[in-house]
Amino acid sequence: MKYYINALGMHLKSELEYRTSFIFSFFSQIIVFFSYYFVIISLFSKFDNIKGFTMYEVLLCFAVIQFGFAFNEVFARGLDKFDSLIVHGTFDRVLLRPRNIIIQVLYNESDFVKSSRLIQSIIILIIAVIKLKIKWSILKIICLLLMLISAVVIFFSIFLLAASYCFITVQGLEVRSVFTDGGKHMAQYPIGIFNKGFIFFFTFIIPYAFVNYYPLLYFIGKSNKVYYAFSPLLLFIYVIPCILIFYLGVKKYESAGS
Amino acid sequence: MSFIEVRQISKTFKLAKKKSGLKEAIKSFFKREYIYVEAVKDISFSIEKGEIVGYIGPNGAGKSTTIKILSGILNPDKGKCIIDKMVPWEDRKRFVKKIGVVFGQRSQLWWDIPTEDTFLLLKDIYDIPEEEYQKTKEDLVEKLNLKDIINIPVRQLSLGQRMRCEIAASLLHNPEILFLDEPTIGLDAVSKQLVRDFIKRLNKEKQTTIILTSHDTSDLETLAKRIILIGKGQVLYDGSLKKLKNKYETERIVSIKTKEKLEIRNKGIKSKKKNGEGYDIVIDTKVITISELLNIISKKIVIEDIEIDNESLDNIIVKIYKDYKI
Repeated sequence: MKYYINALGMHLKSELEYRTSFIFSFFSQIIVFFSYYFVIISLFSKFDNIKGFTMYEVLLCFAVIQFGFAFNEVFARGLDKFDSLIVHGTFDRVLLRPRNIIIQVLYNESDFVKSSRLIQSIIILIIAVIKLKIKWSILKIICLLLMLISAVVIFFSIFLLAASYCFITVQGLEVRSVFTDGGKHMAQYPIGIFNKGFIFFFTFIIPYAFVNYYPLLYFIGKSNKVYYAFSPLLLFIYVIPCILIFYLGVKKYESAGS
Repeated sequence: MSFIEVRQISKTFKLAKKKSGLKEAIKSFFKREYIYVEAVKDISFSIEKGEIVGYIGPNGAGKSTTIKILSGILNPDKGKCIIDKMVPWEDRKRFVKKIGVVFGQRSQLWWDIPTEDTFLLLKDIYDIPEEEYQKTKEDLVEKLNLKDIINIPVRQLSLGQRMRCEIAASLLHNPEILFLDEPTIGLDAVSKQLVRDFIKRLNKEKQTTIILTSHDTSDLETLAKRIILIGKGQVLYDGSLKKLKNKYETERIVSIKTKEKLEIRNKGIKSKKKNGEGYDIVIDTKVITISELLNIISKKIVIEDIEIDNESLDNIIVKIYKDYKI
């Protein structure tokens, strides 16, 4: 783990080499990101609720997903950019180092500018939680933490799957945006507001529902089922085949010519 | 068993067939045709500890593929490869601690930060104990003359400076085998010399086994006693450089400095040209030896000075490639 942290430190150092650029992008990220929130806020200025979900409930849901996504963009950027790793032959170097392959891929690239999103999502999360006037219990704290962790795990899994695909096609796959960006935009809202087909897809194919719907129901008191609080744990099972598929891809790896 | 043992390794790549033109591009978008390219087929050789081997061949002959198989990046389709009792692609983590790889065309240094920071990172990655790290680093800094450049961000270094850092970076963990894939590509004469001298010294002092690919024949001449020539994925020659040279080096140019006029017509003399101060005579050494030639000439005229030119290795390699039709 030490080398992973040190490598990230190096990334930060090299990003800070271009100081002005770093500051500008950091703040432009904040502006872009807040525009997403304004969409939700202006939506709720017209309606009180969407299918029974109030504004702060939706914002909470939104913040959790954004947190998971931004976390991966900062700490697992290499997976997101995996196609360029293969095309440029950097992956050869990864295989030449006596360390875990996935961890090496994670730190191969990094984007600390995106940490502004991470900070913002935490701020929104805190505001939403305060405004929701939650009746706190230990279970609810665990539930919220599990939501955040599983949000990280689900995007990690999807990034990993998309990366595995690069072993076959070399070029990155645009379809993956359907699952990451598209999925992200859908999952920002409680999945219950969509129709059956979407719910099925986001429960069983890409299980966003276990990240921010079922646990959300428990957290905001819409449901008393305790197992809803622990449903995010399912994501830890989901990530296993994703990891295996990635290693299957490594076996198929054919390197770029030089 | 040898230190490095390669037995009948084959690797085939599947490539999508690309034709030119938009129409063909659209067609191939829906229906892909594949061609299979045998990058290497049935390659076998063995290398002892402490050897320097030049691995040569034209572009696309399979040099890089072999290096990638030997270093564990690629799995071959067929064949066995055992290096220091390990199979590279199976014992990856254990194996790569023992090797260093320099790709002349790809950098392993971090672009925006000084080389020393990359070294620190490598120290963590290879788990090098502090004491050993300091010792190795100081040694490399001194021998590769890195003192003034190790603290400059890599993007500001010249190519020669970067290559020296590159080589140092792949030797921090004291590997037993060093793979050098075109280490002198694009370097100026001084940097080339420095790199070559260093490699020679490394081999001598630490008995590091070195496998070197290069298109620069002077690299091979100064470094490798043994070469393996590969073409179209097969080993064409494996042996000493000297023997290969003798086999193909049948032409010699003898330059004679004289003020007199020379008339000579013997078998084996291919051409005679007048130059500024005398004559350039090209002979076929299979027909006439140099001493025979000099004997004949010295009987006719007074020779002030002679110069005998070796045929360059470059020409020899061109000849070999032609011979093998590669």
